[in-house]
Order: sequence, then structure tokens, then C-alpha cells
Amino acid sequence: MITRFFLFILVLSSISISAQDKGTFSGAFETNANVFIRDSSINAINTPQYNRQIFGGEAWFNLNYSIQGFTIGARFDMFNNSNLRNPTGSFSGTGIGRWYIKKDIKNLEISAGYLYDQIGSGIIFRAFETRSLFIDNAIYGAKVKYNLSDNWNVMAFVGKQKNAFEVYTGNLKGARLEGFVNLGSEEKPVTLAPGLGFVNRTISDENMAGVADALRTYQNADRFSPNHNTYSTSVYNTLSFAGINLYTEVALKSKDIFYNPFAIKTEIVGASLGKLEQKAGSVLYGSLSYAKGKLGVTAEAKRTENFSFRIDPNQRLLRGLINYLTPLNRQNTYRLTARYSPAAQDISELAYGLDVRYKFNKNISANVNYSDITTLDGDRLFQELFTEVIYKYKRKWQLTTGIQFLTYNQEVYEMKSEVPLVKTITPYLDFLYRFTPYKALRTEFQYMETKQDFGSWMYGLAEFSMAPKWSFEISGMYNVKPKKANSKGVIEKTLYPTLGVVFFNDAQRYSLRYVKQVEGIVCSGGICRLEPAFSGFRFTMNTTF
Amino acid sequence: MRHFPAILLYLTVLTILSCKEIPIEISDPVIPESSRVVLLEELTGASCSNCPKGSAAIENILNKFDGKVAVVGIHGEFLSEPTKKSKYDFRNQKAKDLENWFQPWFGKPAASINRVPNEDNLLMTDLPDLWQAAVESELQKPHQMNILMDVKYNAQSRRLDLELAAIPLVDLNGNYNITIYLTESDIVDAQSSGSVIIEDYSHQHVLRDMLTRIDGDGLGTDLKQNVIIKRNYNYTLPEGAGGLWKPEKMEVIAMISHNAPTNKAVVQAIHSKLIK
Repeated sequence: MITRFFLFILVLSSISISAQDKGTFSGAFETNANVFIRDSSINAINTPQYNRQIFGGEAWFNLNYSIQGFTIGARFDMFNNSNLRNPTGSFSGTGIGRWYIKKDIKNLEISAGYLYDQIGSGIIFRAFETRSLFIDNAIYGAKVKYNLSDNWNVMAFVGKQKNAFEVYTGNLKGARLEGFVNLGSEEKPVTLAPGLGFVNRTISDENMAGVADALRTYQNADRFSPNHNTYSTSVYNTLSFAGINLYTEVALKSKDIFYNPFAIKTEIVGASLGKLEQKAGSVLYGSLSYAKGKLGVTAEAKRTENFSFRIDPNQRLLRGLINYLTPLNRQNTYRLTARYSPAAQDISELAYGLDVRYKFNKNISANVNYSDITTLDGDRLFQELFTEVIYKYKRKWQLTTGIQFLTYNQEVYEMKSEVPLVKTITPYLDFLYRFTPYKALRTEFQYMETKQDFGSWMYGLAEFSMAPKWSFEISGMYNVKPKKANSKGVIEKTLYPTLGVVFFNDAQRYSLRYVKQVEGIVCSGGICRLEPAFSGFRFTMNTTF
Repeated sequence: MRHFPAILLYLTVLTILSCKEIPIEISDPVIPESSRVVLLEELTGASCSNCPKGSAAIENILNKFDGKVAVVGIHGEFLSEPTKKSKYDFRNQKAKDLENWFQPWFGKPAASINRVPNEDNLLMTDLPDLWQAAVESELQKPHQMNILMDVKYNAQSRRLDLELAAIPLVDLNGNYNITIYLTESDIVDAQSSGSVIIEDYSHQHVLRDMLTRIDGDGLGTDLKQNVIIKRNYNYTLPEGAGGLWKPEKMEVIAMISHNAPTNKAVVQAIHSKLIK
């Protein structure tokens, strides 16, 4: 099949040459290469890479070609002793990770191959790729999109979900209708962008056999008659008027089989936590934003109940996800302010977020962000108050500073028993000084005060850039008040340093770093996953053309 | 826009039509007549808050397949450290090495059933709900070997003497290893469970030591039908400090497995109490 596909590309290229229409090539290349150096003091041990393989990496090379209404593309994927799929394991595989073909015929757009798309904000369907987490949920199938008018279009797709170089056996199909309506005048526009989506997931016989195998072990109190089909629908709209944008989405899912890690399962003697359930689900999401002059305000709210939606109910963690639930908390970028980040909960979550930005003058601006996440029963999951002030002095220097107050529920997010809520206070400072238009030094300092988990941390970074080619960095994360014993059973202060150099050449970016990175545990769906500590060298390179 | 009502109608009809489905029957497990004994090796840990679910699944399996399943609970490194309320530390070097031998695996609890790869080509399956089906599947395979095990325990010297005999019931090509585990049950100590720590949790099948290498000692190559292979092992139990190493709570498990680079499957297992 792949051979035929490349023959097709060749024929198409020949046509283009004879027609003297050269078309357009575009593409990108990205690679990661890691050298693993054992360090038992930070628990960077006992994975195949540390024990024997030493090297692990990945590469992606995609190429797209557009001509005469056709767009074709393919992506070469390579995983070589990679720890992306399973952080404690090793995965190797090479092949065509994606191919697709798209043709525009007047109002009609036809696509086939491995396709990415989403409905609404992704609550009922999102086929996407996040390489760092080994997520590639492309749909291997066909898609048709028809433009009913300038403002309305309808799309429908059928396919199977990608699973590395294979596909899951379950089937997916869906449809989406989207439009745009202006209810106001050209001077005072009041616009609507409504949408309606529908997705059906059919569990394959093989996957249903797994469900039946599980249910056979259940006591009668927990057994149910499983359905192969689940239907989800989503209605959404964006209303825009005079600087105000209101996005609303309501998503419903018919009875679906999913694993609930918090449900009580009846055992022969006693009970345990976690079981398959078959229940309907819903998500309500709203986002209201206002921007005018110096002020920008965004308020969000989301209610989620039983909305775990997977191609196979026996998949866990990041495997087989059909949809995507947007987290409402601030997506932090500084090392310590991003250390405790909540995963969106698909079983029970009530989340609110408020973001206010104000620009006092051309030199000073400020941002305050608040997010609050609980279960539907009111149990605290996450709370964050984040402040930021930016002061710019001409083009010479810039100071960014603020403080973060955070509460994080490790019992839920990391499945830890009898641990208190992690409460942190993290002041930070980011100072950028430009010596010349081409040379600049950026420094970061962060301090996280906490009595829980690993204890308090300090982080510092210095980054010297020589535009447009070079950037050098040195940073360190230091466990100043340690609370946890390391793999040697000792509670000691540990430094996690990073040394790096980055080289830019037009659209190419090369980086080489020596890294020591603290370990962490991520749990979901009742299964805990270790994100091991890293010790070694990391090389990355990416380019687009 | 003129198509909109038709499309909306189509979606609505599709949704309504979708509601009916012939339900599938969930049957009770089949308990096959077999002389096979299946080995279930579980990765677990005192700090693993999901692991009581694995233990419950194992007790269900033992209850349904009485005597046909031998269980080893491996408290290795990941989430195996004692909780803040623990009296004991179940980790030992053999358990840590065995846990790493099973790499890769996704998380805990996880279990290997006869060391046969699952559909993800991993020896460890991290869904306890699926372990029973895997045990059933192994019990339905042909019985190819008998193992006889004579267990002699001297209470005064705390010395354990094992005499093992493997009797192939068919010609078995390839290399084979023998592996012997010592486990201890009914150890009451703390265990993480969901958001709480259960202080009086009864730990079962805890791997205390191994009498062989973790990947087994060589047993032989190209085994012939009815040609008996004998092995003898001995082991002295440490003094039972702090309530551990109670011989009346201990079990010895032996298993014979393939020893090929891509095949480590267990041919047969046997288990016996130290004191019957």
C-alpha cells in the first residue's frame, strides 16, 4: 500500500512537470537524541536505556505537496530505543507514521489517509498529535467536507484511530456542521459562529471480548450488559459583540463503558476501588472574554461528569483517547510555577478560571489569574492565584515578576494515599537585559516554599543570547528543604543542573543540553506511571521548509 | 443554508436509530479440567494505592481456580517503599531485580500470567480485570509437564530441603530453566489504598527470596518425554525478627519455563506450603 502511495506521488509529480505547474512543497523535520547516563542519586536508573541501551531517540520528517487542488503528504516516523511511549520502557519502530491525500473540487473537499481534525473545542472529538507525550490520535479513514455556502459547511468522517504504526480495532464516525451569521451591521457587527457535532464509537469485537472478560470477574452488583455503540453530540457557539466573545459548548454522551478509578467495586470479601462502568456523560463549558483598550478579561467555567471517551474502554492513561478536555488552569512556563499542573479530570470536575490583564502604560502591564477546580462533590482538587507584573525600560531591559499561590491534590492527581494537599508559594523574577540589539542576558530566579512532597525548591537560570545564531544557558534546580529520601534512602539536598547551547540557522534550530531532571509520578485511570528522572545529554533539532 | 434542515434531520434520525442494540451475555468463568498450574507474578507495592485492587483480583482468581494458580507478589522498587505507617519493608534485591527483568511495563498493579506476552507484546498486564481471562486461557492450553516437589522443613535448624522432579509429558525442544520462589502470606502491615493507608492490611504472597537466579537456573535442553530431571535445593530461613519469616505462613513455588530470547513462557508451576 505504501509503495502504491509513493508511486502515486511520483505520477502526480510527473503530471505537474508536464503541466508546467510546479506546485508547492513544504515540510518539517524534527529529531530528539538522548544519551542516558546512570545516576542512582537521582534515581536515573533501571530503565533499558540506563541499563544497556545508552542511546534513545526519535525523528519525524513530513513532506507536503500541493498542486491543482490536490494536497498530498507523508510523514516518516522513527523511534529508536525511545522512552516516549513508555517512560520506563523502550520502543523501537520505523515507518510511515502518516500519509494523506486531499482534493478540493469546487465546494467539496475530500480527504483520505491519516487525518487530524476536531469538533468544537474537542470535547467529543479531537484527532491530534502531541509528540512529547507520544499522542498521535489521527483517524485512519476518509473525510468529506462540503461548503454549503460562504458561511456554512458540513464535514463527515469515518475511520479507525491510529495506535503507533497500527490502528485500534474500534470504529469511529462523526459529522460536524459549522456556520457563521452576522446579526448586526457592518459598523456594529454581532456575529454568531454556531456548530453542531456528532460522534459514534463502535467497540470492536476484540475489544468487547476484553470488556466481557473483565465483567465476568465482577460480582453481580457491578455487572452490566455492555453496549458496543456510544453516541456523543456537541452544540457550540461563539457570540461576538463589541469586544465581547462568548463561547459556549454543551456536550452529551450516551451510555458508554469507561473505567472509573474512584468507583467502589464489590469483591467477594470487602471492596476495592476502580471498575468499569456504563453511564451517560456530559460536559458544559463556557468562556467569556472582553478586550477593550488597556483591559482584557477572560472568565471560564467547565462542568465535567463521566466523560471518559476512549476507542477501547480497557485503554488507560493517554492511550486511545477520542476527545480532549481542556484544562482551565493557567498554562505556566516557568520551571517551578509549572511543577504542579493538574490534568483535566474526565469523571468529576467543576472548574472556574478568571484572567485579568491591564496595561497601565507602555512600560507597565499586569496580569492576575485565578483558577479553582473541585470535584462535583466539592472536594478540592486545585487552586491557583498567579500574578505577573511586566516592566519594560525602553528597549534596554525588561523585568517580569510575580508570585504564585497554589494548592494541589496529590491524592487525586497522583493517586497517593494520605498525603496532604500540596500548598506552595512561589515568587519568581525574570530579568532581561539587552547589551546591544544582538546580545542579551536573561536571568530567572524562582523559589518554591512548601512543606509537602519533595519540600522547597530553588531554581536559577542564566541565558545569554547572541542573535541571530547562538544562545547559551545554565540553570539549576535545588532541593533546599528536602522532604523525600532518594533511592539511597537518604534525605539530602540535591542539585539538578542543566547546561545548554542552542544554534539557530534561519528556520533551523539545534540544541544540545546536559540535563539532570527530577523524577515524578503521573497517575490516571487507576494506573500510576513513573516519569523517571533524567540524567544525560539531550540533542534536539528541528526545521521547517 | 437550504441543506441545513435536512442535515439536522439526518443527524437526529441517526441518533435515534442508534439507541437499540442486542445486548451481549456475560457468562461466568469456565473452569477447565486441567492438571496445569499457572504462575501469576504480580508487581505490587506497599505505597501503590491501586495495588489492593490487584490483590483482590488475585484472591478472586485463587477462589475460582483453587490450587491451579501459584502467586508471587513482587515488591520491587516502584511504589514499593514502606508507607509512613509501615512496620516492614518488603523490598529485597531479588524482588527489585525481578521487577526490572519484567521491563517494560506501564504501571502497578501489573501481573504476568505464565510469562506469556499480552496483545501489546508485554509480559505485564496492568489491568487486574483481565488477569482472570489470561489465567483461563493458560489453563486451556495442553498440559506438557508434571512437576513433583518434596518439601522438607526442619523447624530446629530452619532449613528447607527441596527435591524436585520434572517429567515432560511430550518431547519439548529448546532450553528450559527452573525458578524457585519463597513467599510469605498473612503479614499484617500498612498498605496504601486509594486516598488512605490501611494499617492492618493482610499482605499475601510476598516474595521473600529466591532459591535460584531471578531468571532461573538451567534445567536442560530438548527434554524427552518421560525422561525425569531431578534437582535439589536447600535454604535456611533467617531468624524471624519482628514477626516475619514465619514458616507456617510461607510457601515455596517452583516453575519451569522456556529460556529462549523471545520465549520465556512458563510450562508448568507447582506450589506447596513449607509446613502442611
